[in-house]
Amino acid sequence: MRSTPISLVASAVTLLVILAERPATAQTAAAKTAPTAADWAALAKLPDLSGVWEIGPGGGGRGRGRGAAPQGPSLTPAAAAKRKELQSLGREDNQTANCVPPGMPGIMGQPYPMEFLLTPGKVTIVIEAYTQVRHIYTDGRPLPEDPDLKFHGTSVGRWEGNTLVVDTIGFSPLTDLAANVPHGDNMRIRERFTLTSPDTMSIETTVTDPDVLTAPYTTTRTLQRHRSWTIAEYVCQENNRNFVDEKGKAGIRLDDPAGTSGK
Amino acid sequence: MRRLTLALIAVTLLAAGAREATAHHSFAPFNLEAEKTISGTIKKFDWTNPHTWIWIDVAGDNGKVETWGIEGMSPNYLGRRGWSKNSLKPGDKVSIVIRPMRDGSPGGMFVKATLADGRELRPTGQAAD
Repeated sequence: MRSTPISLVASAVTLLVILAERPATAQTAAAKTAPTAADWAALAKLPDLSGVWEIGPGGGGRGRGRGAAPQGPSLTPAAAAKRKELQSLGREDNQTANCVPPGMPGIMGQPYPMEFLLTPGKVTIVIEAYTQVRHIYTDGRPLPEDPDLKFHGTSVGRWEGNTLVVDTIGFSPLTDLAANVPHGDNMRIRERFTLTSPDTMSIETTVTDPDVLTAPYTTTRTLQRHRSWTIAEYVCQENNRNFVDEKGKAGIRLDDPAGTSGK
Repeated sequence: MRRLTLALIAVTLLAAGAREATAHHSFAPFNLEAEKTISGTIKKFDWTNPHTWIWIDVAGDNGKVETWGIEGMSPNYLGRRGWSKNSLKPGDKVSIVIRPMRDGSPGGMFVKATLADGRELRPTGQAAD
């Protein structure tokens, strides 16, 4: 064709203008494009949270100083009454004895390692206990307005200097805020992950819950990095001999020593 | 000093029944105030999650042999502290200190074991890096 129709040219120009006006950020919210080489290179500029970590001795959510008992959550009268009611049931154990994972926030306090993976737009935490995974989106997407309720909620994060700040909402009713403390519909968890020395990380966790807490509940843990460790498999149902029944009675099955792993 | 601190923390947490340190389940079925030593022959060692299990044939007072089941820490935890799937083998003559079952059934929670050559196996200790 000798000349291009003017309408086609106008459309092309319009399209070019629209494309040029899109923000030139490396990560647009929920981008469906492949990460670029620049995106991968940018990870090297972030604080190195990568690798396998475990809560260090004395670093498991304790208060200041050795031997200081951690301050518990400040409960509303209704939540305190609920806790008292649950405690009076005399339940000997919770559903983790039946291999139901604890969900957030408890999953972050287990005496097993976790692995942090940093990829463009995302931090993934592979948690050895119960083989659980948390997905933290750092690509600028907002928290969902009406999230599905999940064991680990939905998390988004952003970097503030040397700290990864993560917000999580939308928790399953099958998880608790703390022992015998169910969470409300509006629980929010904010975590601050900071490298405090070449191989230590502090995780400051603040839980807010207007229906359950009279004040934000903050705990701090210190994690130690172990460069040579690998995450081991943990399938809870491999050989679980513990149980807690519907009345809360805890038991152990000593029968059949051959068990599920016997041959 | 670190080992002592760790042991003190572990004992304190065990005594308080602190949820954070236990993982998986509580200690309710065990009598944490009691200690019992059983001796016998290893029948089987389950190197499994969520707990390792030591099956040991113990001769009772009446001469009858009974199989006891002793619950231990996860192999993930023990493996980082010097244990392996070969730490106990069928046929090994071992004595084990346990926290016995409250209901008197032949079982308990592992505290430590002494092997035939005198070496001790414990679930504690600093993890190797």
